[in-house]
Amino acid sequence: MSARRIFVANRGEIAVRVIDACQRLGIETVLGVSAADKQTLGAMRATRAVTLGGARSTESYLNQPAIVHAAMSTGCAAVHPGYGFLSERADFARLCEENGLIFIGATPEQLETLGDKLSARAFAQSVGVPVSPGGPTKTLDEAKALAIEVGYPLLVKAAFGGGGRGMKLVERADDLNEAWSVASSEAASSFGDGTVFLERFVRAAKHIEVQILGDRHGGCLQLGERECSLQFRYQKILEEAPSSSLNAADREKLHSYALRIANGLKYQGLGTVEFLYDVAKRDIWFLEVNPRVQVEHPVTEAVTGVDLVREQILVAFGEPLRLAQSDIRLEGHAVELRLTAQNPANGLKPSPGRLTKWRPSPIGGVRWDSHMYEGYLFPPYYDALMAKIIAFGQNRETALLRAGQAVDRLEVAGPITNATLLKQLLATQAVIENSVTTQWLEEQFARGALP
Amino acid sequence: MSALNIDLEELAAVVRLLKEADFSEFRYTKGDVSLVVRRGELPAESSGGEAAATAAPTPPPAPTIVARTTAPKPSAPAPRASESESIPRGPSSTVHAPLLGSFYATPKPGEPPFVRLGDRVEADTVVCIIEVMKLMNSVVAGVAGIVIAVHASDGDLVEHGQALFTIQPVEPL
Repeated sequence: MSARRIFVANRGEIAVRVIDACQRLGIETVLGVSAADKQTLGAMRATRAVTLGGARSTESYLNQPAIVHAAMSTGCAAVHPGYGFLSERADFARLCEENGLIFIGATPEQLETLGDKLSARAFAQSVGVPVSPGGPTKTLDEAKALAIEVGYPLLVKAAFGGGGRGMKLVERADDLNEAWSVASSEAASSFGDGTVFLERFVRAAKHIEVQILGDRHGGCLQLGERECSLQFRYQKILEEAPSSSLNAADREKLHSYALRIANGLKYQGLGTVEFLYDVAKRDIWFLEVNPRVQVEHPVTEAVTGVDLVREQILVAFGEPLRLAQSDIRLEGHAVELRLTAQNPANGLKPSPGRLTKWRPSPIGGVRWDSHMYEGYLFPPYYDALMAKIIAFGQNRETALLRAGQAVDRLEVAGPITNATLLKQLLATQAVIENSVTTQWLEEQFARGALP
Repeated sequence: MSALNIDLEELAAVVRLLKEADFSEFRYTKGDVSLVVRRGELPAESSGGEAAATAAPTPPPAPTIVARTTAPKPSAPAPRASESESIPRGPSSTVHAPLLGSFYATPKPGEPPFVRLGDRVEADTVVCIIEVMKLMNSVVAGVAGIVIAVHASDGDLVEHGQALFTIQPVEPL
């Protein structure tokens, strides 16, 4: 491999993770930081750090010209975008390519297909992967007709434009008229297109996703599934591999769906195909593809033994996959907890500040992916993730036990963390028996059962 | 914090007084600023370090000024403008890179630089260009004064916030 230097266009724990992977490959790293991030662990670990711009992400981590210029001026062959920020931006991938830099991720065309909800669904359908009942509607009459097919409750949302913006839950047919009209006019004014998307709302669904990896030569692999049903407002809190909710037949089905999508796209790089799983009805529906390294990738690494970031870098430089599907064997169980600087007693409000104490518990079978150190000033500008605590065991019970010990023995002071919530969750029967669904934690908060 | 934490007006006055006085060494300490002015050969015990770098080792004796502050030391100011019109005013000012990019001291290759050491600049004088992805961004001095240090070379990658020039403010023209 000719690459001797990679530009890391991200921050936090994932920057450290990418730098580690590069160091093991003998590749130098240049980390682009914001003016607020000069004293981060990543900046100390990278071969070199350059200040891209101000603390605001738009001036630094989202500043495409500055990143590309810095990468070229420092002699980097490739750019690793991590997750979030520019990792799924087709325009950025293209800008890198045009300037002779390898974008460590999917191709711009793949990012375009997957970045739009309608085209991603259409693609999934075209390769025979079931999508949740629903579709785009241009008029209220169309919506009424489709709603009968989809059934209630259902979600209405702008077809174009991302995020949860303007999303409305419709419980009864009587409410469709108003919800649809509001969503349509909002969509028209915000995104210039009044098309409204109708989709069945699954109240008791599990979130299950499959890790995929593809090279530039048409080779594709799936590396098993992860379950991330324990969420708070679409923010995952606990993830695990494998999922204990699937039976063998459904697991095989899920893996084959993911491979159909990967093969159909000739997918390049690391990706995650997300599904909703209705345990009662045993329905599997395609949700979306995240074309990048995922926050929770370490649980897959723990049970497969594959260094996913290393493989991601190698395939980006054109190396063929070194693993065959039959080489992917799962062993044991892994659980990841997201430790964040959020106060559970105050609606999980972010709590940045100076970290005066940081002593991760030295427990066998536990991996800490973190950019924390004593004295670090946790900035208020970015996400609240402090560490990912990844516990491995021969079975789920052991993994959960170790995860619990790791949180119990963590010594942390300064920012208020969600550690108390994590402890409560690990002691909750629904979590222990994994009966939680994606809405469960929010319902617990609403009922006052947690925190 | 300003780059040079010393009152240059005071310094200039001290040097002017010492010019006429009979002395070989003068030490002055105030807060975290310490000033050493010597005439003639450097004493052996303080060889090496920053003093040696700026000292003229041979007579005719000229005052050697070593200003130690937390900020970079100034190059010997050699204002082309006559002394009367460029009375130093307060601490020096640093021009920082407003964005990351490539530093260019000249408008075009082969042309003379926007400013040279010792040049008089106004607040709106363009002092350099920072190029990012072929977009040229002019950087202005921001203060009227004399360029007393240049910290970047042509073509360098400069980072956001990096020091580019030190300007000794003087009364605007």
